[in-house]
Amino acid sequence: MKREWLPPALMMILIVALGAYSEAHHSTFLSKLNLNSLLLEAMPLVLVSLGQACALLVGGFDISVAALMTMCVVTASFTMTPTMSGIALVPGAFALVGVGLATGLFNALLIRLLRLPSIVATLGTLSILEGASLLLRSFPEGPINSDVAGALSSGVSFLPYAFVGVVVLAIGADVWLYRTRTGLALRAVGLDATSSRRLGMPTGRTIVLAFAACSVMASVAGFYLAAEVQIGSPIIGNQALESIAAAVLGGASLAGGKGSFFGTLLAATFLTEIDNVLPLFQQPTEYADMTIGVLILLALVLYQAPQLLSRARAARQRTGRLPTAGEAPAS
Amino acid sequence: MSIPGPVRPVVLSLRGVSKAFGAVQALRDVSVECRAGEIHALVGENGSGKSTLLGIASGFLAPDEGTVEIGATRLRRASPADARRLGLGIAYQDYSHVLDLSVAENLFLAVPPHERPAYRSMDDWAEKTLAPFELDIPVAAPAGSLSLAQRQLFEVAKALLTRPKVLLLDEPTTALGPEAVEQLHALVLEQARAGGAIVYVSHRLPEVLAVADRVTVLRDGVAQGTFDAASVSEGRIVTLMIGRPLEVAFPERRAQDADEEILLSVSGLHGERFGPIDLAVRRGEIVGIAGAEGNGQVPFLRALAGAEQASGSAECDGRRLDRSSPLGPLRAGVVLLSGDRRGDALFPMLSVRANATVQVLRRLSHAGLVGRRGERRAIESLVQRLRVRMGSAEQPVALLSGGNQQKVSLMRPFLRGDVKVILAEEPTQGVDVGARFDIYEALRAKADDGVAMVVKSSDPIELAGLCDRVVVMSRGRIVEEIPRDELGERRIVEAIVGSRRRQASAT
Repeated sequence: MKREWLPPALMMILIVALGAYSEAHHSTFLSKLNLNSLLLEAMPLVLVSLGQACALLVGGFDISVAALMTMCVVTASFTMTPTMSGIALVPGAFALVGVGLATGLFNALLIRLLRLPSIVATLGTLSILEGASLLLRSFPEGPINSDVAGALSSGVSFLPYAFVGVVVLAIGADVWLYRTRTGLALRAVGLDATSSRRLGMPTGRTIVLAFAACSVMASVAGFYLAAEVQIGSPIIGNQALESIAAAVLGGASLAGGKGSFFGTLLAATFLTEIDNVLPLFQQPTEYADMTIGVLILLALVLYQAPQLLSRARAARQRTGRLPTAGEAPAS
Repeated sequence: MSIPGPVRPVVLSLRGVSKAFGAVQALRDVSVECRAGEIHALVGENGSGKSTLLGIASGFLAPDEGTVEIGATRLRRASPADARRLGLGIAYQDYSHVLDLSVAENLFLAVPPHERPAYRSMDDWAEKTLAPFELDIPVAAPAGSLSLAQRQLFEVAKALLTRPKVLLLDEPTTALGPEAVEQLHALVLEQARAGGAIVYVSHRLPEVLAVADRVTVLRDGVAQGTFDAASVSEGRIVTLMIGRPLEVAFPERRAQDADEEILLSVSGLHGERFGPIDLAVRRGEIVGIAGAEGNGQVPFLRALAGAEQASGSAECDGRRLDRSSPLGPLRAGVVLLSGDRRGDALFPMLSVRANATVQVLRRLSHAGLVGRRGERRAIESLVQRLRVRMGSAEQPVALLSGGNQQKVSLMRPFLRGDVKVILAEEPTQGVDVGARFDIYEALRAKADDGVAMVVKSSDPIELAGLCDRVVVMSRGRIVEEIPRDELGERRIVEAIVGSRRRQASAT
């Protein structure tokens, strides 16, 4: 239990530390306006990362999420035009979720029925979606209704309601994952699919649901992106690797079965914060990419350190290697 | 131990079951039934189809033909979940534990949903539930921290807790000592008294016959009959287990020279899944390793080759082997021919030439450049000698048959002049009959050249025909050594199933 708290705690510390540092040098950081825009900016990455965490929990990857988000933006430029208003926008929004669900089921189909590794299956989906987006909009065109953006960014003080919503969702998902029978079953499938199948668990269904959830979350992220950019751009989504980075920084294991939704949310917020503060220091955004890369490597080493240490210790006991001076090797 | 009174109902019925894996027919028209209150033993050699049969009965594998009925209801599709719902419990030989989850969590997942406690009271519940089994394992610890024996008992406990009408046990005692075996058998007998049906797969004949009511013997995927355990002798069962027709000839053995120097000497070698093991192999000698699968044979060979960690010492030609990586043994002239050809031994996409010469490129190169002509010349005679059938030396080995692939991996020790010890793991697995003799002849020729050889095989005929001496491993240790003049299929199988050992200790 303790080890599972390490990633969220670390992310929280980093968010606060980076915020404090920025505020000390540029008092604009903690302004209501900046905090509000930071949290709104974070929404797409937070949502897609929560979805990615589902895929990682069952031991897979979904690299098609960014292309799906682009597809959703393009779709929105057809289904949520500025001429629509109020209730007429609802079917348009559901169309995006429909695109997400269809993509998720398609990925799951490739993975379950054709037995493709998820990274290969979603790579194929990524190309198909990219091509389809470019077919529909070969350059950024088609304005998207701006009422939506207003509704999505409403909130109290600097806190957007939507962000409060995903925090509740992420915490609820973690409670489910670590405190309920079905959450345990999901982790079991991710940790050891063979044993889970032997125990009579529906491993196939679990994997299908995880990938469907991943794509649906990505389509909601796409919805936010559409509201943000307000034009049908075919080249907008690029959060695939960032979403994996956020899930891993948040505590997900690449081997499956481990992860934290709340940690993922914090990590996605932190990654957005890096992007947010760099302009304050007049630093180019390339540094953000490099920082993220270094952080992932550090996090992986840190999170796995206890395991690596205990493995090394066990190996030493077994083999009698690396004895300290004067100590006889264990038999 | 037979059940008095009226005939009990059949709870598990397999009818006309056949199953093939690729070209290998694992089961052929097998029918077995198990009645309520009965302990039904299923015995056979390695690869006779026991585990495949259990896989089909438990819904993990789909049969090509035939039906499975559990409690008079037909299992309509291969689904472990459906089989469990019909009342089938199974303890797998390699367990169904999720090692990263705690013992309590594993237990929670193993019992039927309506018997699960509230999530928060899981640890207390697990403690109470496991208490009657006297396992003495901490329920909050990860399952991965249990010893192999504890994992095995926990696996059986998990299966029993589903209150199955039929309980399948697949080699449930491989990691257990005598006391734990007693403990397990008490549980099994109690389950049978309560009216449960039990199918008990084991290669340890004395153990399984002590508790079984009936025995079914499998050989090469074909049922050899079902017998009353009380009235059939171990000798008769062994006779049914063995007796495959002799398909291949074996190369001539030279007279053994007992004064030949010892090339490979192992003392107290001890790894996670085997040991301690002492073994000495002389120059020119081929020592076979027999045993039921999973008794530490493969880890032992891999540890010798530096591919797995172990303590203790091993010497080659009088010098201590550095086993910290595969490089040390390789430099000392110890070559492992892995049984996992595609995974460990060969580069499937590289050519026959490249695969054969990869370890001797330095010798074949001038000024850092490898001469292709030199490479071809080096392997030409070997290709003929080993009768490798291939289109050209440039063909990727993945396109060759299993037998020819094995011959290619055998070319390596032939190309190196300095090989002292060859450790061969299942040298003819997946190799057709025609190519086997070529491989046996090549191995024997290498031994006659002065190489010491250890051959691990699950085929007693092969061991009897090829080796100068066979050691039998059980629970990770060498339990018996069979000298050359006693070698024979029956003698080896008897040693594996442990019937002679028991007779010896009884007299």
